Order: sequence, then structure tokens, then C-alpha cells
Amino acid sequence: MLTVHDLHKSYQVGKTTYEVLKGISLEVGKGEFVAVMGPSGSGKTTLLNCISCYIPADSGQITLGGRQLAKLDETALAAVRNKQLGFVFQDFLLLDGLNVHQNILLPAIIGGTAGPAAEQRANQLCQVFGISAIRDKYPAEISGGEKQRTAVARALINNPLLILADEPTGNLDSKSSRAVISAFEQAKAALEATIFMVTHDSFAASFCDRVIILRDGIVWRVLEKGAKERTAFQDELLDSIREMGRE
Amino acid sequence: MKHFSDVYRHLRRKNWRQYALLAGCAFFSVLLITAYACMMRSPTILTVLPEGGDSRKQVMMVFVLAVLGCAVFTIYASGLFFRQKSREIGTFLALGATRGQLKAELIKELAALSLASCGAGILLGAPLSWLIWQIFRSMIVDTEEMVLRFDPQAFLIPLFFSGFIILMLFFMGSRSIRRTNIIDIVQESHKSEPIRAVPRWYGPVGILLILLGLVLGYAMPGVFIEHLQWYPPDGLTAVFYLPALIGLYQLLLHTVVNGWGGKKRKYKDLISTSMMKFQGRQTVRNMLVMTVLLAGAYFASFFTPMMLSSSGQSTANRPIDFLYHYRTDQNMLTKPDVQQLAEEYQVEITSWAEATGSILGIDGIAHLETESAVGVTYTEEYRALLASATMLSASDFNAITGSNLHLAPGTGANILDDEGATPWLSAGDVTHITNTVTGQEIDIDPVDPVHYSQLIGCFILNDEDYARITQGLTPEWQEHYVLFNVADVEASFPFAKALFYDIVDHSGPEVEVFSNWDPVERELEIEEKGSYFLDPENLEEHGFSSINYDEPDSSEFRLDWKYMPQFKILDQTETVKTMAVFLMLFIFIAIVCFAAFVVISFTRCMTIGLTNARVYDDLRHLGAPRSYLYRSVKGQVSRVFLVPTLVGTLLIYAFYTLIMYFNGDPAGITPSEGTGMLVCLSVIAVVSVILFLVYRVTLKKVYKATIDQKAP
Repeated sequence: MLTVHDLHKSYQVGKTTYEVLKGISLEVGKGEFVAVMGPSGSGKTTLLNCISCYIPADSGQITLGGRQLAKLDETALAAVRNKQLGFVFQDFLLLDGLNVHQNILLPAIIGGTAGPAAEQRANQLCQVFGISAIRDKYPAEISGGEKQRTAVARALINNPLLILADEPTGNLDSKSSRAVISAFEQAKAALEATIFMVTHDSFAASFCDRVIILRDGIVWRVLEKGAKERTAFQDELLDSIREMGRE
Repeated sequence: MKHFSDVYRHLRRKNWRQYALLAGCAFFSVLLITAYACMMRSPTILTVLPEGGDSRKQVMMVFVLAVLGCAVFTIYASGLFFRQKSREIGTFLALGATRGQLKAELIKELAALSLASCGAGILLGAPLSWLIWQIFRSMIVDTEEMVLRFDPQAFLIPLFFSGFIILMLFFMGSRSIRRTNIIDIVQESHKSEPIRAVPRWYGPVGILLILLGLVLGYAMPGVFIEHLQWYPPDGLTAVFYLPALIGLYQLLLHTVVNGWGGKKRKYKDLISTSMMKFQGRQTVRNMLVMTVLLAGAYFASFFTPMMLSSSGQSTANRPIDFLYHYRTDQNMLTKPDVQQLAEEYQVEITSWAEATGSILGIDGIAHLETESAVGVTYTEEYRALLASATMLSASDFNAITGSNLHLAPGTGANILDDEGATPWLSAGDVTHITNTVTGQEIDIDPVDPVHYSQLIGCFILNDEDYARITQGLTPEWQEHYVLFNVADVEASFPFAKALFYDIVDHSGPEVEVFSNWDPVERELEIEEKGSYFLDPENLEEHGFSSINYDEPDSSEFRLDWKYMPQFKILDQTETVKTMAVFLMLFIFIAIVCFAAFVVISFTRCMTIGLTNARVYDDLRHLGAPRSYLYRSVKGQVSRVFLVPTLVGTLLIYAFYTLIMYFNGDPAGITPSEGTGMLVCLSVIAVVSVILFLVYRVTLKKVYKATIDQKAP
């Protein structure tokens, strides 16, 4: 589904160059729920932004559904973002002037596929994520958890190949965080969605099939959940993080 | 909502305030520039503002300031608009909208917004200026000359400015979607300006630079002219004001970023100073525009009180109620004619004096100008016969003025005004005199000048010298002076007006000439060039208004007729009417600039709420009481509003004082200038009270928008 090979990215601040990604390689299979963890500055968000093509990578390859994203022109990239990727941001990025229903429909409207089928899917997503009651409300009138569930529903409206989530629980309380993770689990189970999530939160990551831990711009460790209980997997995650902290 | 354009339209409706702010700013700027341009290019105005004259330059200077101010203001409003819009644009791009899709929508809405706002500004600008002018006419003074006419070419200026706004909006719009880093676009609205440390010496050095710029800007043209004998182009002399502009920027930057409170106020002003610090550049740019606009507004508003108080005082101080002079070849009214007219109007003449002066050739320094690539340069050359002056014998001068002047043979005295403030209007230091009819010449030594405002321009000779040199003069080279007083000058207005019309009726076409018309200069110039620029047929070609006996009440006639009588009551009563177009023009400019200042300051203050909403939410969450939030809002509003007010006011008053001090020879402030400056101070007091009220209203509105509205 998603393959990242030898990805490099650096930032220039004044005369100093900061190398943030130093050759990251990873793969995400269809229907997988993968988390990326790591301390601040490890390159998590930069990796996500490069995969999203929000920022250009310096070198390396990103392949999504068999297509190399670096070779695409601006219009084709926009189509990839619209049809093949779904995004969930830490600060939701809902448009204040649109209500919940309109926000969910937005990718379909942008892609020119808005119509009865998209309306029906939006209604279905509202039901799946328990936000039908607030579909006519505006972002300013709903809670953080509801905003993020709206964002998840919006990310799924065009049946993307992959959902990219950047710290989706970062701005939420524990109850809302749980609701958002449940939304991802439901998306995976009911809609066969593939999810790639960047998070600091070991609780959120413990629901994933696999957790990739980054450190200083490289993949430090990959942990598989396998048949483990969620709590045991969270302990394993925490142990790894502690170990990384000691090194 | 099925199409992208539907979403765009929907969001536009929801965010109408952002659009209204931008459209309002563009509309206001174009409206102001159209109104100003219509007025500035109006034939009504151009007729009374001499080409190349100081008044026209001042009007142009304030116009340039207004255009620059409006340009900075619209750039600021556009920046704010796209900053607020960036989150929307970034979200669309993140969700897969193509730049082409966004471009198409943006072009549609920017085209509609800019064309509508600029179009409305251009359409309403002329009616606005006409309306203000009509209010002046109905409330202050109305003359035939005040009928406002428009020149269609004036609309080219707002059209160019609208073109600038449209191009700037499209450029900024295209830049807002062209960036490749979508995350940057999304986060644009939360980004602060990169902050650079502002050294504390910026404040005091800024003040010094302002003073230096004002002195250099004012003095350098004089230095060029007197010492380099070069009339530099206006653009170059404006460069010397640059230190003042740089200093003003430094001063405002220091005030915004560091504040003047010192360590004691460090914590008290922490929030308001910090908030402004991160919008320092745009805040300071706005404050700079406001300061300059206010200075321009005051500069224009000082014109009326200065002019009225100086002319009012000099008229009131005239020792002679009625003075007129005429060429002796004219079939002028006789003493019995005047007495009969006085009787008709029941005016009692209490004193009567007459004297005949002679128009003689005088020597002087000729300025021979040469046009070159760097402007006009000149060389000085002594000419034994340069121009003419009206000469009086010492005994005639004593007889008509009651003076007791003794002049030794071979000496002469120049006549200056009472304050000695306008030496350029006098004959100067004459050393050689020529009778242009007989060709006889004499040399004289100039002695200390005498002061008598009503005879400025005349020259006094020793009686024997006068008798010798004026022998053989024909009547067209002689002028007769009549001076008389009346018992009740206040009641003599109808008589004064009737006498003035009679004098005009008795004057022939040969004296229907401009005040600077000089018979000697004329002869010399015709000999050299074949024509004389001040002859009636050449006046318009050289940018002067023609003198016409059919329009004795026009400003041009009253101000520029060579033989205009000096009747105290006529001048006292009709000064405002005579100067109406000048006065109203400067009042109009002042109103326009004050309005621009108020609109810009109000808009800038209101955006404090828009740009700092998050900070106020955070402060509220940290437990800040309303009083603390109010203080923080007030700290910012007062700085944005009051600092430009204070600096602009002090700056222009200091500059005006500088001009008044150095514009005479010798330097100093004359009593009439002092009176005028006191009147200007009262103008400042009245305007300051109005501006303070506007500040209070603005503060209340900003408080309501930022704190009251969001209070839990």
C-alpha cells in the first residue's frame, strides 16, 4: 500500500542545515493500523508531511498504491491527496464557516464527486462515528472529540487508500481520545481503512497493529502487536521508550 | 452544496467581515484619492494656485503623503485578509484541491471585490468632494469663483491607484496559493513576524534624526540656491527629509517594541508590549502612515488661521484707512469726486494727503538661469538697469506718512513692511538710478530702510536728488498716491466698495496689469526676447491668471492687480471672500486627511481583536480578570492611536515653528506670526479633543469586540 524508501529531508535555518530524516524506509500494508512514535525532533511529523506531499522530500522514494509520488505533477498530486489519502490533523483543520456535514463532504465537493452517493456516505459516516446529532452544527459549537471524529469522517469520505493522522489525540482529553481511536478502529473494521498515525500517546499507539519508533531521523525500532493484549503491548511500548531514554 | 464554487460562496457569506474590511479599506482609499484628485485638478482650484507656487506644491505634497498612506493601508488590509484566508486555502490544498481550482475562485472573488470597491470609490469621490465644497459654500463663504468644476483627467489618478490595488491583490492572492509547503500556508494565520531586538537607543536617536531631517529638509534648498546657485529638482530636496522619516520609524519602533516606561512598567505592560512586538513591523508601518497623515492634516489646517491672522493683523494695524495709487496718465477720480462720494455715503473724511511718486530704473543683481540635466542653475550679474521702483521724495514721504525722515544728498532708503518680514517685496538696496525717459543717471548710497507696510516697494530719495533725476518724466512714468482717513471706518464699507469700483472704472486698459508688471523689465525683455511674460496676452501661457476689469471681485483681481487700493474696511470684510478658494481648499485637504487618520487608526485598532483573539482566550484561561484584559487592550489601542497623534502633532508644530522662524530676514517670529501660531495651537486643542473622543469610542468598540463578546 505505502512504501517509503531511503527518505531524506533537511531544513535550512539561517546558515545552519538540520537533517531531520536520515534515510527512513518503511512499508504499510493494506488494512494495517500503524503508528509512528518518537521523541520531539525525531522526524515524525516531517515524515508524515513528506508522505502527504505537503512538503517536498530531498531524496528517496514514496510509493502509494504502486505510484511514485515524487514523479507526479501538481495536479496529479492534488488528485492523490483528494482521492487516495485522507487526513486527520492535530488541530482538526475544520473550516469554521461550514457545518459538520458540509465539512465531511468537502473532499467530495473538491473532487467533483458530491451528489446523492456522497451524501449517503456522509450520513453513513456520521452514524458510524456517532455524530449524526451534530451534523448541522458548526465547529465552534461542538467539543474537541466531536471535531476530531468529524475530521476522521471527512478523511474517509472519498474511500482513500490510506488515512494519515498527525497527533489526532494531541488536543483531546482521555474520553475524547478514546472516542477518536474507536473511530479509527471502526474505520479499519467496517471500512477496511489503512491508517498511518503519528502520535506521542502510548495509549493511542497500543491499539495499532505495528508501532515504528523513530529516533534522530532514523527508524530505531519496530514493534508488532501480534496476538498480544493491548495493555501488554502498551507496556512493551513504554519499556522501549524508557530504554531509548536511557541510551 | 455540490460544487467547489458553492463552498467558496458559502464561506464568503460566513466570513463577510473579512471581505467587508478589505473592500471597505480599498473603497475608502480610492474614495479619498478620487475626492482629493478631483479637487486638486479642478480648474476652479488651479486658477487660483499659481503654477510652481508654494501653495500648489504644498497641495501636491500632502496629496503624495495621502496616496502613500492609502497604499500602505490597503497593503496592510490585504495582508490581513490573506493571512486570515490562509487557513482556508491551506485546508483546501491539504484535502486535494488543485491550485487551479483555488486560483479560479480567488480570481473571481478578488475581481468582484476590487472592481466593486474601487469602482464605487471612483464613482462617489467626485460627488463627495462636490458635497463638501457645497457645504463650505453654503456655510462659510460663497463667491462666483467657488463654483466647482471638474477636469475629467483628474480621474486618471484614482484609476492608476485602483490599478495598483487590483494588481497588488492579485499578486498577494497568487502568492498565497503558490507556495509549495502546505503546512506553512495552513499555519500562516498563527505565525508571528520574526522578531529582531530593537536597541533602546532607537528612541533618542530617532528623535535626533527627526530634528535633523526637518532642519536639513527645510534648509538645504536654501543652501543649494544661495551657495551653489542651483535650483535643485523638488524630488531631490525631498530626499533631505528622509532622516526625519527614518527617525520617525525608529521612534515608533522603539515605542512599540520597547516602550518608554522603563523597568518600572516592565511587568505592567508585558502583555500589550509583547502582543505588539510580534506584529511590530506592520503596526509601525501603520503608525508611520497615521503620523504622516496627521502631520499633513495639521499642515493644511494651519493655512487658514495663519493666513487670516497675519493678514487680519496687518490690515488692522494700517495707519491709513484708505490708500490708493494710480498712474498719472489715468483719468482718475479727483479729490472733489471722492469727497462727493463720501458725502453720498455719509462718510466723514478726517484727513487727506496726496503725493506723486516717479517710476525710475534701478540697478540690481540679475539671475541668469540655465536649464541643465541636474535642474536650473543661475549666475549672478550686476546690471546698472535691471527693473523699476516707485521713488518718493523724502519730504513727500514725510508729508503723507507723518514721518520725520532726513536723507542726505546722494542717499536713499528702501521701504520695508512694519515687521521687516517681506524684504523680497521691497525695491532692495538700490545704488544706481536711471531716468528711462531722459537717460539721466545718479548713484546713491542706501541707508537704513524705513518701515511702512502700506508703501512697501517704494524707495525714498533726498529731495534735491529726486527733483534732479525726475526731470523730464512723462505722466506714464509717474504714480499719484492718495491717502485719507475717515471718522468711522467700521461704517465706511459701502463707501469703500463704491470707491473701489469707481477707481476700477476710471482705470484704462494700459494699467490692467499684473502686480509684478514692471515697465523697465518689460522694455529690457522685449528688447532681448521680443515679448514680456507679464504682458496680459502672455499671462496664461506662463501660468498666471489674467487681470480683468470685468471681474473686480475675483480673487485674481483683488490679489494681483497692480493698482489694487488698500482700503482697510474692504480688506477686513472681504479677506475670507477674496481668499475663499485657497481657504476652502486647505480646509478640504485637512478634513480628508483627518478622516483618513481616523479611519486607519480605527481599522488598525479593531484588528487587534481579530489578530489577538487567541491570546485573549489564553489569558482568560489563565485567570486574567476583565480589568487586566481591559488594561491590555487599552495598552495597545492607546499606543496605536495616541502615539501617532502625539508625535504627528508635535512634529508638525515644531516644523511650522521652524518655517516661521527662518522665513523672514532677519530670522525670528514676527508678532503676526506669533498670533497665527497661537491660533494654530487652539486648532490643535480642538482637533485633539475630537481625536480623543474618537479614541475613547475606538477603545470601547475594541474592548467590546475582544473581551465583552468572548466573555464566558
